[in-house]
Formats: sequence, structure tokens, C-alpha cells
Amino acid sequence: MDQQHIRNFCIIAHIDHGKSTLADRLLELTGALSTREMQAQVLDSMELERERGITIKAHTVTLRHRTADGEEVRLNLIDTPGHVDFSYEVSRSLAACEGALLVVDASQGVEAQTLANAYLAVEQGLELVPVLNKIDLPAAEPERVREQIAQVVGIDASESLAISAKSGDGVAAVLAALVERIPPPGGDPGAPLRALVFDASYDPYRGVRCLVRVVDGEMTVGQPVRFMGVGHDDQVAELGILTPRAVPVERLGAGEVGYLFAGLKELRRVRVGDTVTSSRQPAIAPLPGFREAKPMVFAGLYPVDSTAFGELREALEKLSLNDSAFSFQADTSQALGFGFRCGFLGLLHMEIVQERLEREFGLDLITTAPGVEYRVLTTRGEVVEVSNPAQMPDPGSIEAIEEPVILATILTPDAYLGGILKLAQERRGEQISMEYLGGGRVLLVYRLPLAEVVLDFFDRLKSVSRGYASLDYHLDGYRTGDLVRLDLLVNGEPVDALATIVHRSGAYQRARGLAAKLGEMIPRQLFEVVIQAAIHNRVIAREVVRPLRKNVIAKCYGGDITRKRKLLERQKEGKKRLKRLGRVDIPQEAFLAVLRVET
Amino acid sequence: MAPTHRSLPGLYLHVPFCSAICPYCDFAVLRAGGAIRARFADRLIAEVAIAAASWPDPRPFDTVYFGGGTPSLLPPGDLARVLAACADRLPLASPAPWVFLEANPEDVTPGACAAWRRLGVRTLSLGVQSFDDDALRFLGRRHTGRQARTAVETAQAAGFDTVSVDLIFGLPGQTAAAWRRDLEVAVGLSPGHLSCYQLTIHPRTVFGVRAARGQLVELPDTEQAALFDLTHRFLADAGWPAYEVSNFASSPEHRSRHNRKYWDHTPYLGLGPSAHSFALVPASAHAGRADAGGASARGHRWWNERHLRVWEQYVVAGKRPVAGEELLGPPALASETLLLGLRTTAGVDLDAFAARYGIDLLETNHALVTRLVRAGRLQVREDPQGQRLAPTVRGLAVADSLAAAFDLPLPT
Repeated sequence: MDQQHIRNFCIIAHIDHGKSTLADRLLELTGALSTREMQAQVLDSMELERERGITIKAHTVTLRHRTADGEEVRLNLIDTPGHVDFSYEVSRSLAACEGALLVVDASQGVEAQTLANAYLAVEQGLELVPVLNKIDLPAAEPERVREQIAQVVGIDASESLAISAKSGDGVAAVLAALVERIPPPGGDPGAPLRALVFDASYDPYRGVRCLVRVVDGEMTVGQPVRFMGVGHDDQVAELGILTPRAVPVERLGAGEVGYLFAGLKELRRVRVGDTVTSSRQPAIAPLPGFREAKPMVFAGLYPVDSTAFGELREALEKLSLNDSAFSFQADTSQALGFGFRCGFLGLLHMEIVQERLEREFGLDLITTAPGVEYRVLTTRGEVVEVSNPAQMPDPGSIEAIEEPVILATILTPDAYLGGILKLAQERRGEQISMEYLGGGRVLLVYRLPLAEVVLDFFDRLKSVSRGYASLDYHLDGYRTGDLVRLDLLVNGEPVDALATIVHRSGAYQRARGLAAKLGEMIPRQLFEVVIQAAIHNRVIAREVVRPLRKNVIAKCYGGDITRKRKLLERQKEGKKRLKRLGRVDIPQEAFLAVLRVET
Repeated sequence: MAPTHRSLPGLYLHVPFCSAICPYCDFAVLRAGGAIRARFADRLIAEVAIAAASWPDPRPFDTVYFGGGTPSLLPPGDLARVLAACADRLPLASPAPWVFLEANPEDVTPGACAAWRRLGVRTLSLGVQSFDDDALRFLGRRHTGRQARTAVETAQAAGFDTVSVDLIFGLPGQTAAAWRRDLEVAVGLSPGHLSCYQLTIHPRTVFGVRAARGQLVELPDTEQAALFDLTHRFLADAGWPAYEVSNFASSPEHRSRHNRKYWDHTPYLGLGPSAHSFALVPASAHAGRADAGGASARGHRWWNERHLRVWEQYVVAGKRPVAGEELLGPPALASETLLLGLRTTAGVDLDAFAARYGIDLLETNHALVTRLVRAGRLQVREDPQGQRLAPTVRGLAVADSLAAAFDLPLPT
């Protein structure tokens, strides 16, 4: 297909602003699927995604559209993940496009995440087509939102489209705009092959499936190819396009988007952002922008039943076949036994992995509090990377500790500014800029320690702004901090899995909050339970769980002892789900207590 | 303690009728008209015949317990016919088994008492619940405090060997002083036996529904604990020491000869809707070994249909009205022995436990026992017969958790 008849685009939108609904309408209008075949929101095909109403893995579809002039144009919709954890994948998806639909809820206005992705798209030279969605809502203010787009994103919004993806109103105009306003792909069909891998997934029968955008040259079935970033040579086994059903083709030319099966069986060997070239006639340089997805958030995962360690290992290995962004390595905790230290892109990613392990593999897990990876400079001049607080070197041998910091963009109505400034300050944020955008909205940029953000920053931000503030962030290097390890002791015994790294300035408050929270979470037992928080063996907070005083003792009467015994057995079963440390039964949630501490 | 054929089996007869359903009660009870009540004795007699054919224990029953519901609602003539059928079809102790009857205070008249005495009733158990009119109204009872006192005195005058008084404590908002007054009235009447139950809110009861809607707030556990302590201290001082978590007697001969069987795996046959039965199955029936009460004996427990109509259909058709059953191997029996033993002041006979289940509790749960003894929940007592592990009053207060804290092999 010649490049003039191709358009590659994606949809940039905030959660709930209607991206998936619009995608469904586009599929319907172009006849990609009959209405009968339509399942609501076809593109969010993972069960978990549909449940949460978010897109985790990118999906892509090729639409055949006939213009008013009767010309057939192939529209490649490149779906992008909708969460800050996956911003690198977003950037690669954007790199595969020449344009983007900027979908904004006409009743809500622009949100931080949309803004961050829109800026990214503008930087990458994409043509943005603003689309105001949900104009049928009574609260819709298309004029105000149009102005906002012009002012905040800095693009001409005068020709933005007003639609209702739900009812289908105005969606036909979106198709026309895609053809007229988004430029066809450039690229040199005669040059050596260069194709961008913008997504990869694992098919249990076929191995690794890459989604590629051919930039230069062409790719054909049987062609020997090289993945330049990872240095892997392979051969094209199958090529095809997604309509959304997979339709095999013999070749993909410059500007085209499709899928590729090579001989690869392990997803770990493929990196999103990599360039595929011809082995025989390799390109001189790969496409720009490739980097490894680096885990930013770390937590321990332990099986509740310690005999399930092997099962957990197998499950992690299987899961890593189609999620190359998380890392895991065996770890031991005195409190929790054998488990794994796992690295994730962010908190949502962590929750997704944990849920998939429990749901798809039937594992019962204890997750320890999420933390970040610190760089510890020792007095001997070494740099040690520490992601597990329990493995922090002895305080005497530490010269300095550096922690990762992020650059956070927060967009909020000005009514909530006070609360947000206070929150950012509490979390050791450093204000970089504050800009009034008009329409009562403020754009804040903060440099914040990542460790303060992975706890519950997002939830707190939502609560101080009644859900109106939005957040986007990216990693911004490391910064030295006065950090100490806060140990938690239960009946005098340190519990390694409860240790956290905190800033000295907030240590007392955190210690008191954590001890109090644990005191609430640990059920009353036959004995007194003493919880202590300590820094360098010095106790700075103490909480006591008073012993149980009274059970409701049902009558053992009329000989119905069976019921009584069954209750006892259930009680014992319930206890198995608690972790017994010494003689103290600690519930699973307690290991995440740090997330529940009110600050 | 543990399966043994030393104690003779007990017979339980469930009379499910009540004149009104108490808002806290989750037993198999119902209000029913004259016709259903009139034919109930005949149905029970039919079940006696059915059960007699399959009851495996040849030894005589030395207790017969009419429980409910409200057995005192059945005319003495009906009770007499049922007893006669039992004597006819089942081996009863000679000269006569000890007969228990539960009665509501409003049914206790000198005439009724005389009739029950003639039937051979030796323990009359009165559902007093409280002597306080407000508490009685809250509990949905149909008698007053004065009627309750009169009932106890009438029963005593009638010459029953033991008059037992049931009380309930832990009502929402109940103060220690209010509960103490109930206890004072009770010991002032000097019954041989007292049962003091903590009010339990069961889900499918009027109170359960009210609690779920937030209209009824249970007494906090610290206050429940205080009332429990008060009960045990007060009654021990007054001369009614506890022998079980809820049961108190002025002397050993007033302790319930019947209920004790439930706690030590003595066989019992239960007849009537929802009644439970338990029998020992000699090991030889399983493995060809011939030590009936020995280490490898199994228990067999079964229970009747709960609903009167369903139960009736079975017995009318000449079938056993059994709704469910289970076989108890040594792990389940061990678990029950510990669970039930730790509810009694006598506790668990450690040597017998070790001999029967091969588990030395002190050795296998050494750290736990040490800590529980130090915490004042348990004591290890040396008896002439051997060592016993017994709860203190503080231990009895959390008896449910005590048994659950032990590591025992779970039944598979």
C-alpha cells in the first residue's frame, strides 16, 4: 500500500474521557466488526483491563476507510496504555504515529496525564486533532474546554471536533479529519529496513508477537532480521495486520503497521522501542528513543503458605514472558520466609502483577510495603544499590544515601491549591513552577522523592482535591537525603519485612503512625502484643495490643458439638492465613500498613 | 474425656414448641397449633421405635432429657406416653433413669410439678433468664421477675432433686450492678444448679437483624469480660462454683448428669427435630482390632431434620429422619476433647489424652502452655489420677481461643 493512503494515529485521553468508546465507534463505522460482533470496548481485551476500565497493554487495529472521494485509506489506530506507570510504552506508541486525536471530556477539561502525553506528542512532531467528547452531557462546556486546550496545550483548537462517542454523533467527521489533517507517513521505501517495535506480547502457542511500524524499507516473510537494541538475529515467520482479527500478509511496506512473529519464544529477549532491521542489509543506525524499561518501585512478594515458593517462582517466570517490565529475584525474610524481591514500573503495575498472580495462578501472597531503590555510598567508597530496607548496610558504614526523585506535573482547580501545596511540602517536594492557566486551573511542577510518591501520594492528592487534581511524573535522577531505616519490633523481635526507609525529619511521625496502625490491624490475642518502632536500636514509638478478654462462647448444648468443632477448625484455617511471628499472629494486610498510615 | 464405655448413654428428646419465639433464640423451635402439638407425642413415639432398631449401644440409658423449645408445653400425659415408649423399646436404667425437664416459669404450678414428679422428673430446669422485668421484656419473655421467683419456690416445694435456673447476661447496656442483682436473687432462692449464658447475637434471629441494622449494639467485650468475671467470682464465693464455662452447682451431685455426656464423648441418642446423636464405633468395625473404647475407636455423630414437617414425614414413613452425619476419627475426637475439656474446670486429663491420641500436649505445645500459664489462663494440676490441663476463670473467658491456639493435627 502506498504511503499516501496510510494514516497512523493514536488517541490521547484521560481515563474515562472516552478513548475506548471512541475506538469502538471507529471500528463500527469502518465495518471492522459488525455490531453483532462488537463486545463493548473491544480493544480493552484483558479481563483485568475491562474490570478496571483502563488500558494496560497497547492494542492496535487497522481500519479500512473509504473517503467521500471513494478512495480507500488505511487507518492504523495505535492504542496506548493509559497510566503514568507505562509512560515509556506511551512514548514508543507515539513514535509510531504521525498524528493523534486529543480526546478531552467536554465536561471535565484537560487533565495532567492528557497534558503530559499531548506535550510528548507535540515534541515528537505529531499533528494533534482536538476532539471534544461527551458534548451531549448537560455539564458540557465545549467553548471553555476549547479555550483551555488552546491555552494549555498551545495548539490551534478552533477546528476541534465536537462529538459524543457514546451516541456516535460527530464520529464520521473524526474519520474525515484523520485523513485530511494527519499527514501520511514519511520514510524511504528504498532504504534498508527499519521497523519500530512498539509493543510485544506473548502467545502461548506462537511465541512472541511484536507490533511494528515499518519506517524505512520493507519487511517480508522469510526475511532474516536483526533486533538492533538487543542484538538478536532471527527470521520473519509471519507478518500480518490486525483488523482486529489477525490477517497474515506477505509484506509490510514503509509506513505500514502490523504484527510480526519471528522465532522468539521469550518475551524477555524483546524490548519495546527496539529497531528491527534486515540482517543482510542492516541499517546504519537504529531509530532513536530506545531504552530499557527500568523498574522504579520494589516490593517483596511472599507466599502465605511457605511451601508454595516453587509455585510462585513458576508463576513469576510465566508472567514475565508477557510482561518484560518487571524484575524478580529470590529473597529471604526472617519473618516471611522464602519469596522474591520484585521491581515494577509503578504502583499500578505492582497491583496488576499481584492480582494476576493471585487470579491466574491461584496464589495467596503477602506483599510488603512498596519502596524504591536507593544508592548507598559506603565509607569504603563503594556504591551499593539497595531496594530492600532490610539489606541497608550498617549505619556506621554509610557515607551517604541517594534516593530517586521525580518531576511531577500536577494540574488542579485553584480551589484545592492550598491542600496540594501542603501535601507536596509534607512529602518533601521542591516547587519548580506554578502557573495559572486561566479558567481557575493551576499547573504545578514539583520535584519529589519517588519514595514519598509510591506510598499513597496519588490517593492523598485525589482526596485533597476531591478527585479533581491529576498527576503525571517521570524520573529525574537521584538526590542525597538524610535517610534512616525505621525498624518495627513485635514483642521485642525486629520484623525485617516491616522495616522501611524514611527521612529523618519525618521519622517520629511515621513511627508513631505506623505503630498505631499496626496496633489496629493486629487482632487481639491471648497475650499482650507490644509493637515498637526504632531507629538504630532506639525505640521512638510504642503501641500495645491488649490481650483478648472475652469470646462469645456459644452453648455446647443438645449435643451439637460438630458445629462447635467446625467453628474451631474454621478459626484455625483463618489463622493459617495469618503470619505467625513468635506467638503473634499478624494479618497479611499489616505488611502494607505503611500505606494506610494517616499523615 | 475421650471415648469410653464407662459412662452409660443418655437419651435426649427435643420438643420444638414455644408459645412465642424469643428474639435471641436460634434453636429449632416453632409456634404451632393444637393439632400439630397433639400428634407430636405420637410422632416422637414412632421415632423411638425407628431409632431403637439401629441404636448400637446395648447398655441402659441412665438419663432422659426433655429439652426444647418448651417441653413443659406438652401435657404430662403426652410426656408419660413418650417415656413409656422409651421404656418399652430402649434399654433404660433400672430402677429408673434420671429424668430432666425444661420448663418456662409461667407453666410451673404445684399441679404441674406434682404431675412431673410422678413421671420421674428429678431435675427441673427453669428458663428464668432474668429476675428483672425490663430485662425480661427486652428478651421477649412472657413472665415477670415475680413469676420467676414463685416458679423456683414452687419447684423446690414440689421436691425435685435439683432445680436449675437459667440466666442470661451481657444484655446491651447491662451494668455490673444490674447483673449482680440477678445473681443475688438467684442464690437467695438457693437452687441446686445455675446456668449463666452470655447473650449471643445469632444472625438469623430478631436480635441478629436488629444488630445488622445498628438498632442493637452488643456490649463491648471488656464489659462482657467484667460480667463474666463477676459471675464466676460471685458464685464461687456464694457456694456455687463453676464446673463448666456456663454451669454452676452448689455441690457435685447437682452437676448435670446429662449435659456432661456431651462434653466427654459419652454416647447419646437424640430424638425429635434437630436432635443430635453420638455413638462410639469400635475399632474392630474398621480395622479388625478389638479394643472398643481404645485408641483407635471412632465416633459417629448424626443429626435429625431440623424442620418439624420434614421430620414428621420421615417418621410417619417409618424412616430415620437423619439430615446429616459424620464419622470422627482420632484427630476430630482429639480436637473435640481439647475444645470441650478446656470449657470445664476439670480440664483435660493429659495422660488419658496422650494414651488415646498419642499426643503429649505439654510437649507438643510447650511454649504455648508455658505462656498461657504465665498469663494466668491455664494451670497444670497434679491430681491423684495424673496431670490435668485446666483453664482458670480468665482462661474460661476466652475458651474459644484457647483451644484454637493449640497445634493439633486437623481432621482430614
